[in-house]
Amino acid sequence: LCRGGLAERLCRLQNRERSAISFWRHQCISDAKIPSDKSGVLIVKILEMFEECTIQVAICQQLEQSSAMLSSEDAVINAGEPILKVLFARETAAHLKSRPQDVIHIYPPWQKLLLKNADVPVIMNTYFSQKVLLSEHSETREQTYGLTKMLIRKNIISLAQMFRLDDLDDELHQKSSDNQVACAPQIHNNCDSNQHPLAQSAVNDSLLEMVESQGAVGWREAQVRVVIQRVYCLPAREGYRSHIQGNKPLLSNRGMFCRLCLLVQDAYGMFSEVQLQSLSSAEDIEQYCRRWEGKFCCLAGMKILQRTTRGRALGLFSLIDSLWPPVVPVKVPGQSQDSEMMTTNVPPPSFCYILTAQSGEIHVEVDEEEQISNLYQPPAVHGLKEILQIDGCNERCSFWARVLYLRLQTKHSVPINQREIGLFVTDSTLQNVVHIIPKVVAVSVAASCVLSTEITEALSVASRLVFFKDALWENGRIICVERTVLLLQKPLLYSAAGADLSELTGPVRLDELDSTTQANSICAVRGTVVGVNESTAFSWPICNRCGNGKLELCPQDRALLYCSQCSEVVISPVLKMQLEVFLSCPSRSQSTVKVKVWHEMSFGLFVLINMLLSLQSYEVQSVLGKEVGLLNCYVHSITSHPNCVALEEIVLL
Amino acid sequence: MDSTLPAVAEELLKEIRKAFQETSHGIDTFFFRLKFIFGPSAVPALDLVDQRSVTRVMSPSGRTAYQVLGSSGKLYTCYSSCHFCTCPAFGFTVLQKSESLLCKHILAVYLSQAMGACQDLSVSEEQLTSILLAEEEDGG
Repeated sequence: LCRGGLAERLCRLQNRERSAISFWRHQCISDAKIPSDKSGVLIVKILEMFEECTIQVAICQQLEQSSAMLSSEDAVINAGEPILKVLFARETAAHLKSRPQDVIHIYPPWQKLLLKNADVPVIMNTYFSQKVLLSEHSETREQTYGLTKMLIRKNIISLAQMFRLDDLDDELHQKSSDNQVACAPQIHNNCDSNQHPLAQSAVNDSLLEMVESQGAVGWREAQVRVVIQRVYCLPAREGYRSHIQGNKPLLSNRGMFCRLCLLVQDAYGMFSEVQLQSLSSAEDIEQYCRRWEGKFCCLAGMKILQRTTRGRALGLFSLIDSLWPPVVPVKVPGQSQDSEMMTTNVPPPSFCYILTAQSGEIHVEVDEEEQISNLYQPPAVHGLKEILQIDGCNERCSFWARVLYLRLQTKHSVPINQREIGLFVTDSTLQNVVHIIPKVVAVSVAASCVLSTEITEALSVASRLVFFKDALWENGRIICVERTVLLLQKPLLYSAAGADLSELTGPVRLDELDSTTQANSICAVRGTVVGVNESTAFSWPICNRCGNGKLELCPQDRALLYCSQCSEVVISPVLKMQLEVFLSCPSRSQSTVKVKVWHEMSFGLFVLINMLLSLQSYEVQSVLGKEVGLLNCYVHSITSHPNCVALEEIVLL
Repeated sequence: MDSTLPAVAEELLKEIRKAFQETSHGIDTFFFRLKFIFGPSAVPALDLVDQRSVTRVMSPSGRTAYQVLGSSGKLYTCYSSCHFCTCPAFGFTVLQKSESLLCKHILAVYLSQAMGACQDLSVSEEQLTSILLAEEEDGG
């Protein structure tokens, strides 16, 4: 069952009810006297019975009523002979074994339903019912009837009649616009609140109050004013599903469906995550961040999706913690508006409501023209050096860094757009100091971190400066997860506690390969060629358009090559050559260093090897002893027994 | 005598729809009633709603059908003109034994309508025909 879903809710209610029912029934059996609290008890006499599906329908006459349950509707019923239709569930009916003329006591909670075109009210949820044994004859009657099986007429329900859920005037509103593709949110920007239809309703400033007074299902009359602390995209669990056979999901070219979300905070310091509509890709996330973060907005017509707690939503709460304590005093509930107390002593929140707009229009109005709220906490930007020294775990951090190299996770069972991306980044705090800290840091981008098309394209093309907002520092690693946003532009506002957002001067330097180098990092290597792994030397053609290394022979013309990814013949393939070379590196003299070098990227000192390879005849002797200058490499693996380092030459962005 | 249960079920579903659209009623009351009337189908139907399993399929001529992605991963078709579902439970519990008004898939269709959780899908006439006919070939 979906956690937090309706089914789970019903299950919980049902379990509670079931134990109450069995407890009550047990009491009835064991002790013939029912607790004498007679209020709310319905006393009926069965006139006629029949069965529909497994429900027993009893047409009854209502006998005396206890005053407690008289409502205005009851008063209308003819006091002489009020007729009721009482429904009994299969289990209750079996327990009661009732016959016409029996008198039944129905204890609360029972429910009454009035049907539109019928006079007779329907009584249901009659679990707590008991038959009353009336007279002396009753015992003998029971015995007689117990022996003969009573036949109850069963009404077979026709399947021809559908249920109509809407009244005629509701027909216009019938479209379920919940899951339509939204191109841009229909969010109103006008700051002239007098013209807006929601302006008449009172504006609240407490999320908790709204939730408690308006309930889970929709806040019709009121709105609440909050500050947008963060804007981000969350991957949408349900994408579009094609329900034509095959159930193949409809994917956009990005392959990822996501939902625009806001993390808002009210005047009392309480947070809430508001999920807006689905976007097909995170195109405009940078825009929304710029326009909305820090501004006030009014929420109306929200529905509570979930009330989540710290233990269940670590990611969300790590973000909330980074915004705690509030930078300005917040109100304390229960106090008058004038007295505001400092909140430095208040512990961070332990629960958070996740809201979503009800189906249809989105009721979020952002006051873009207004000033940034004092409550807004822009991301605190730090240099990478500082971040690497953070003590804690699960802390959000923001930084501005240059991306040097990008590597996709190679698990083939995972579709490309859901693979983890490894980014290698640096900034001036790492480059400009001679220290034991590394010069380059690996940042993992998990599949749950939504990247806009802009970012993905920018990253694969050239070295870019990227702003990482609210990345997670976890167990000594920086990872980009849900709620982390990667942006190409510096934020307008940031609190820079000594952050240096200056450009890097001079060329980027990588750490040199040494005993502290770890796998899945990048480094620079220099050494002497001591061997060539002849068995791994080979060359193959790749597609000049997409780099696909698995070209096939063209079915029509076996002399031509065909690329299945581009779906076209490859006219001018690029020849790629691979060679593994063993180096002796003074910086890590104990290890065998094996470097995979590629023809395309190798220039300079390896041209000789390549030429020899391409001629299909070479002499290993001629390259042995050659000095190899600083090569940029990716460290595939480091093993201690045997002491071997496997590298791959790379080109930095 | 006229049947009672369908009218009660219809009224209940109407109330649920109203609650989701307008008022701030607690849903719990409706849940109790839902459970009473629909018995063991109620929780599975709500689960199907939670998972957004119901799609209303429409063709240009205005014909509609519903497709529900069952918990086993199988896709069942529910008609929009009468109570019919291609799942085996419907055939057994509703048609054969008349033990239930609806199967969980049909109930999920109604609940999804009431709560605005129906997905919409437009298809061509041919596709809708094949959806409706395909069941004939597969089903027993």
